[in-house]
Amino acid sequence: MGKGSMTPPASLSSAGWKLKAPHDAQAQGIVVSGFSDLYWAEALFLEADQPGSGWIAALRTVAPITDATAKQVRSAVLAFTCPGLAKLGLDEHDLGTFATPFREGMYQEDRLRRLGDKIDGKWEPTVIPGGPVWGGNNNAQTSGPFKTVHALLLLYDKTEAGVQNWADQLAKTLAPFGVNIVHKLSLNLQPGENKIAREHFGFADGMSQPIPYGDSVVVSNNPSSNNRPSERNPWHGVPLGEILLGHANAHHEKAPGPYVRSKTNRVADLTREGAPEGFLNLGLNGSYMIVRELRQDVAAFWNSLKANAERIQHHDPSATPVTADWIAERIIGRTRDGHLLCPAGAVPPAPDGQPENDVGFLQKDPYGHGCPLGSHVRRSNPRDGLAPDLAAAQTILDAANNHRILRRGRKFGLPASDPYHDDGQERGLLFICLNSDIARQFEFIQQTWVLNQNFATLFDETDPLVGPKGRFTIHEEGKPLRRIVEVETFIRMAGGEYFFLPSIPALDYLASL
Amino acid sequence: MKQTTLSVVLEVQPQSADNLSALIGELRHREDKPPPGSSEQYGRLKNGVPVLHFMSLSVFPSADYDPIFVIEANFDGPAGVFWGQLEATLGIELRAMLRCCKKPADQDGPLYLAVTSPDSRVPLAPYLEARTLRPSVFHHGTRGMDRDRILREGELFLATRRVLTQSSPTLANPYRAMTAEQIHANLRAALQPDFPWLDIPAPIRISRIERAGDLARLIIFLFLLLACLSIPGAVIAFISPWQRFLVIFAVLGCVVAFALYLMRAPLEGLGAPSRSGGLTASSLSRRNKLTSLAHPATLAIAVMVLLALYIAVASAIGTALAVLFTGLPVETLWCPTIRVVALGLVSVFLFTIPALVFWLRRLERRDASHDAPPIDSDMMLKMGQREDRIAQNHMGSVVLVKPGVLRTLLFRTGHRGLGLVLRVVATDGYLGSMRTIHFAHWAFVNNGSRLMFFSNFDHSWESYLDDFIEKAHGGLTLAWGSCIGFPPTRFLVLDGASHGRKFKAWARHSMAVSRFWFAAYKDYTVDQIERHARIANGLRQIALTKKEADAWVRDL
Repeated sequence: MGKGSMTPPASLSSAGWKLKAPHDAQAQGIVVSGFSDLYWAEALFLEADQPGSGWIAALRTVAPITDATAKQVRSAVLAFTCPGLAKLGLDEHDLGTFATPFREGMYQEDRLRRLGDKIDGKWEPTVIPGGPVWGGNNNAQTSGPFKTVHALLLLYDKTEAGVQNWADQLAKTLAPFGVNIVHKLSLNLQPGENKIAREHFGFADGMSQPIPYGDSVVVSNNPSSNNRPSERNPWHGVPLGEILLGHANAHHEKAPGPYVRSKTNRVADLTREGAPEGFLNLGLNGSYMIVRELRQDVAAFWNSLKANAERIQHHDPSATPVTADWIAERIIGRTRDGHLLCPAGAVPPAPDGQPENDVGFLQKDPYGHGCPLGSHVRRSNPRDGLAPDLAAAQTILDAANNHRILRRGRKFGLPASDPYHDDGQERGLLFICLNSDIARQFEFIQQTWVLNQNFATLFDETDPLVGPKGRFTIHEEGKPLRRIVEVETFIRMAGGEYFFLPSIPALDYLASL
Repeated sequence: MKQTTLSVVLEVQPQSADNLSALIGELRHREDKPPPGSSEQYGRLKNGVPVLHFMSLSVFPSADYDPIFVIEANFDGPAGVFWGQLEATLGIELRAMLRCCKKPADQDGPLYLAVTSPDSRVPLAPYLEARTLRPSVFHHGTRGMDRDRILREGELFLATRRVLTQSSPTLANPYRAMTAEQIHANLRAALQPDFPWLDIPAPIRISRIERAGDLARLIIFLFLLLACLSIPGAVIAFISPWQRFLVIFAVLGCVVAFALYLMRAPLEGLGAPSRSGGLTASSLSRRNKLTSLAHPATLAIAVMVLLALYIAVASAIGTALAVLFTGLPVETLWCPTIRVVALGLVSVFLFTIPALVFWLRRLERRDASHDAPPIDSDMMLKMGQREDRIAQNHMGSVVLVKPGVLRTLLFRTGHRGLGLVLRVVATDGYLGSMRTIHFAHWAFVNNGSRLMFFSNFDHSWESYLDDFIEKAHGGLTLAWGSCIGFPPTRFLVLDGASHGRKFKAWARHSMAVSRFWFAAYKDYTVDQIERHARIANGLRQIALTKKEADAWVRDL
């Protein structure tokens, strides 16, 4: 692959924004793009069995890490766990400048409880039996085999064969360095029905993303905007520092760290800017990447909803619209094609035909008659919906936007041919998201919104999609009583970890250790 | 029912601090994991102290003082009943803990010796009552709900769920075909036998007397505040003709205002402008009738009326005092008194307040903040282990207060004012747009050199602090901003807590492990308790109108 392969190179961007020079050449491409035109991808989880960073240079000769300047014919992303960075040669002192959740890892005992994975020493039903099979730290105390992951390499290509050959080539390149691929997932983003990329339950995915703004670093990729700084989107605008380290964030500061002590004998382009005296800024234009392998049980999902629909119709013969599809849409909060539900049905598409997303809940759907209060979209981003009244709407929307994540996940496994039949195949979503403050963004969403049993004055229920077996209630217009759906556990975590997604200069530095 | 929040702060003998922590730890262990066959978790306390909502026992270590042992309690009714019940339940344990504390040097010393002597049976309650601290600011999220009622209405809610559940997977559920009014009538009929209290009207949560008292206290506070602030102007008004007085104060006012204008912006790197969540009239409470004052016109009229009232009352008192001291007749005194009071009042707004703000701003620009407070990883781990186990969480914090005359005056007055304002406006649980606090309070300890904060709140610590940062940073900055190390503030209420990360780090570092913590209704958030109350209030009525029933049924 080469940068001259496309003339003129199309800029790499998503949802109307891109980074300005020199930041675009420093940030990894996944920050600004999900590489949606490269349908096939491989996630290679790497473990280095000896210390040293020589393997990074070798890896980059075969898979140059894509920056955020221009579209490439294929792309690669590289990120490290905390033990991975230690293995490369970062010492305790430098590692100490990274965020605490990253250093402790996803499997710290109290964090597991907050994330709803393991409570009082027992793995929750939302984790595969026996516990996760991979992670950065081996402190998960799983009963089965466990793979320690030091780095995650994501490869994206236009064809399935292309990406697999590439992965094979990498395995051969890395083997002499003692770096092994200990876990592997084949990801794809192939559009399905109506040319929409769908997750395994059949719903359009990745619909609502935060839109960064800030200083002159982020510009609109609209050709008519003349590289003017992006304006703040009133519904989804977040300061760039929420996604990318080294820029002003929602707390009006540049997140501190990570830094490395400046040493003159290293050849690297790390800047001193933004770092305390005596340090180099390792974090600038990098990010924290959260990865969770979520296995989806498609047959359990649809069979359970079908049984619920039948039960509800016995229960209330007038419940004519209640079918498995009807319940599924309410669990998600959107139609299969990604349109948000509202009391009148679905929110009409935006002028460009895409689902309209600049929508608040408070005015249009205060009681969740369209999009249920406990639906996955409202729990993942309640927007202004938690406001007690209209006067508080702006405060609550601003508050909710301090907890946004940029999602870059993709599904793995083959589509289920019959959604009601369990074919025994593993499939699911490799959840990937970027944020700069793991505790305030990813963990907050998971704990305070998604799995909170008291979210929005609901009682004794959690997220119907990603939470454990339990009840999910739906209000309908004109029906006095809520519908009660008994959901099963549909999604189980098979592994996860917090990664550091370095900038290209930071990667150069790590490779030089 | 009126609730009470208080704390008892006791100095610990330094060598006994670990022993005390261990005693508290043992109590926690016993209550958390009661022996098989005995009562439920924390059942001894729950049943033995039926007035208790939340209680904590903590030991705060400090680099500047000897450790302190704090009993924080939130309960129904007067303190005497509570202490009696607590002593009957945990007397033996508490006495052992008190033995780890220092003998007070003041008049309570003999009482301490009496209650802590070996084999003593002297009641603890008088000692604890003597050492009780009253909070400077407190907030009750479920105002006027006694514990019994919260539990009772929670059970009623669970019973409504049972009644409404489908009896068989294949049979039609009769409630599904009913209108909201019919559901109400049927549900009431089904539940009334088990919940006979539904026939009794709901107890009044805030009585008129309590409300009038709260309002009167606030008005008296404002009155005294204005009187104090007008002293410098009033003194000059004695000797200065009113025209000259107004010109002098107008010029002084302009000078100070210009200086303030120059100092209004944050210093570089210290600002944290926030789009929303500040301390505004409308943010104080959402549904309180008094916040209709948030409208500028009504607010202006109300302020005018209050000021006129102030002039009238202050002049009357002033005249009476003048008559007392001079013996001159009222007719000759009332006119000059009104003049002095009115000019004094004018000077408050023209000069005194701007001058105090100028002084404050000068201090603020030179204050140091603690950007990276040391965090003890062992303490952090212990806090982490205790948090996020039930619907609520607990935090206790002690910080040092900034020194200086102005800081002390502003801080003490600010606390007193905030405390009184909260009593008047925060009657529905909301602070700004957040309603996640059951019981919280601030109290000054060690002659006001330290400020203690306790809160029993819903959801996680992170979300609680984020609520403060995002939705109530103005009031919080006022209440905590004069403490050492707090993130940089501006004009007492701006920036401050909006420095979110720094604020969280500062708050975390000030906390101690909640070694023992009791919550009487561990599954219910404030929002949920209010939901139960709405359901119960509906069911207490024999019939609802269609409109009432449609709104009521949404909570089921």
